[in-house]
Amino acid sequence: MKSRIITLSAILILLLATSSGVANPGGKGDSNRDYTCGGSCHGDPSLSSTSSAIIDVEMSSTAYSSTTTEVSVSISNLDTSDNGLVGIFLLGSKNGNGDHPEDYGWTIIQDPNGGTSNYVEVVSSENQVTVSWVLLVPEDLGVKEIYISIHHGSYYNHNNKAFIGETDAIAVNIEPIPENYPTLADGWTSPEERISGDSSTITIRTVNTESLEVYWRLSGETRSHEATVEMVADQEWEVSLPATLGDTRIEYQMVASMGDFSNIMPWLSMGTSEPYFDGTSLGANLQSISFALIILGFMVSLQSWFAPRGVKKIIDNTEEVDNSIIEYQESTTPELDEKYWSRLIKSDENPGWLWDPIENEWVADPELSKGGDE
Amino acid sequence: MMFVTALHHLVVGLVAGSGVIMGVCAILTWLSTYITNLESSKTTLDRAAYVASIFTLVVIPLAIISGYYSSTNSGGAIFYNKFIFSGIAFGFSASYFIGRFRFGPELWRYSSLANLQMFSALFALTSIIILGSIGSKITLGESTLDILPFWPDFMNSIVINQWFSLILAIFGLISVVISLRSSSMKFYLND
Repeated sequence: MKSRIITLSAILILLLATSSGVANPGGKGDSNRDYTCGGSCHGDPSLSSTSSAIIDVEMSSTAYSSTTTEVSVSISNLDTSDNGLVGIFLLGSKNGNGDHPEDYGWTIIQDPNGGTSNYVEVVSSENQVTVSWVLLVPEDLGVKEIYISIHHGSYYNHNNKAFIGETDAIAVNIEPIPENYPTLADGWTSPEERISGDSSTITIRTVNTESLEVYWRLSGETRSHEATVEMVADQEWEVSLPATLGDTRIEYQMVASMGDFSNIMPWLSMGTSEPYFDGTSLGANLQSISFALIILGFMVSLQSWFAPRGVKKIIDNTEEVDNSIIEYQESTTPELDEKYWSRLIKSDENPGWLWDPIENEWVADPELSKGGDE
Repeated sequence: MMFVTALHHLVVGLVAGSGVIMGVCAILTWLSTYITNLESSKTTLDRAAYVASIFTLVVIPLAIISGYYSSTNSGGAIFYNKFIFSGIAFGFSASYFIGRFRFGPELWRYSSLANLQMFSALFALTSIIILGSIGSKITLGESTLDILPFWPDFMNSIVINQWFSLILAIFGLISVVISLRSSSMKFYLND
């Protein structure tokens, strides 16, 4: 009874330890997504609710065509789940499809996590989040719109709902780029990361730029330092930024100049990745097999070494054969005994003894000797 | 290859489950020699560990294959470690299975063999726990075993030259064959 209670208690504890089935509570990672992930689970009104978060967006209301601009998003009053995760969308529309800013001519040079995605997941701190995207403004002139949308969980969320917040359209008037305006070349994007300890230069391509200055700082620092810039070709520059280690992020800002005019661009950032690993899949498989066989060989050798004498292999049937022989002999013995005992002659002169006329000898009568000692 | 990724998660769960059953049951079988309360369950525990070891040997290769083709395989050091620990787990599981197959349930009567079987199961279980921890590091970025102060850094790995790995594999295979042949001759002579 006691063991049953212990077993039931253990099963109950294991059942209670499992997490409830909710969709992607740990996020889905940065990627390119439409509004509410294209109207998936979070777009369903029965599975979502309005977020209490306040979203502030800072973005220049006018921008020159094909130049860089920054979208800064500050989210406050967040009520997130335990992990504090918030998903933030940068959108060109809220149709549920074709919402990526690139569908409207924008180019993401860098997202808040160093990549080039329009959807990023960040962890909130003290119910607040501040992130920014660096964009290349579309070539098309006129008014373009940008939207920000967020989704997150909640600490008290018994219905496992997604909480969704969104902004109204942020209008940006795109004006023609002034003649000889110094800026980045179309299609250039910031490197996402460098290998730990790598101090090699990064290449920047520009247009209409006579000189380029680059300032760098480590993430979280306020003081910036000027980097060494070398022009290697027409409108192509190599910038020396110090090597970083661990999970450090380095931020850099470019100032492109033409004559007396300077274009101060937004701060970009670059992460640090692990060093190059020279192991191959084939090598991993071979090493795995070799380790398995070496261990197996060693352990089987030890088994043979430790095997005591007399321990029989499971396929050894000697014992069964011996037993069957004994059984056979036992089964044939009564017939032999019957013939033997029938030829013996009782003698009144010698009670307790029988005469064997073939062997010419006296044999003890088993009928009388039974229990004779008692 | 979303199907392969989902399959990998499924197979990894089976590896963990069967590996834990094999390890725990084998250790309990070994303990039953010393703890009289477990004596009555010895046969059941031994059979459970034996069957679980067979199942583990089936699912570990499936986990390796599905992991190789899954989308989470980025080919870094952490994945290299996963392959290596899969091999180690397979080696110890196979050792347990072969020991049990060769000597039958009677092996638990001999302390040296029983200890060896227990260590095979224990190391197989430990390797599978490490495998699970590496998998958790890859998918979740953290693992329950992070609380241990001496947990190794799986972002680095020891890479052996492929030819040397091949030589090691051949050497291991030969040693297995020789060990099995010599032991069968020994038994023959004993009988």
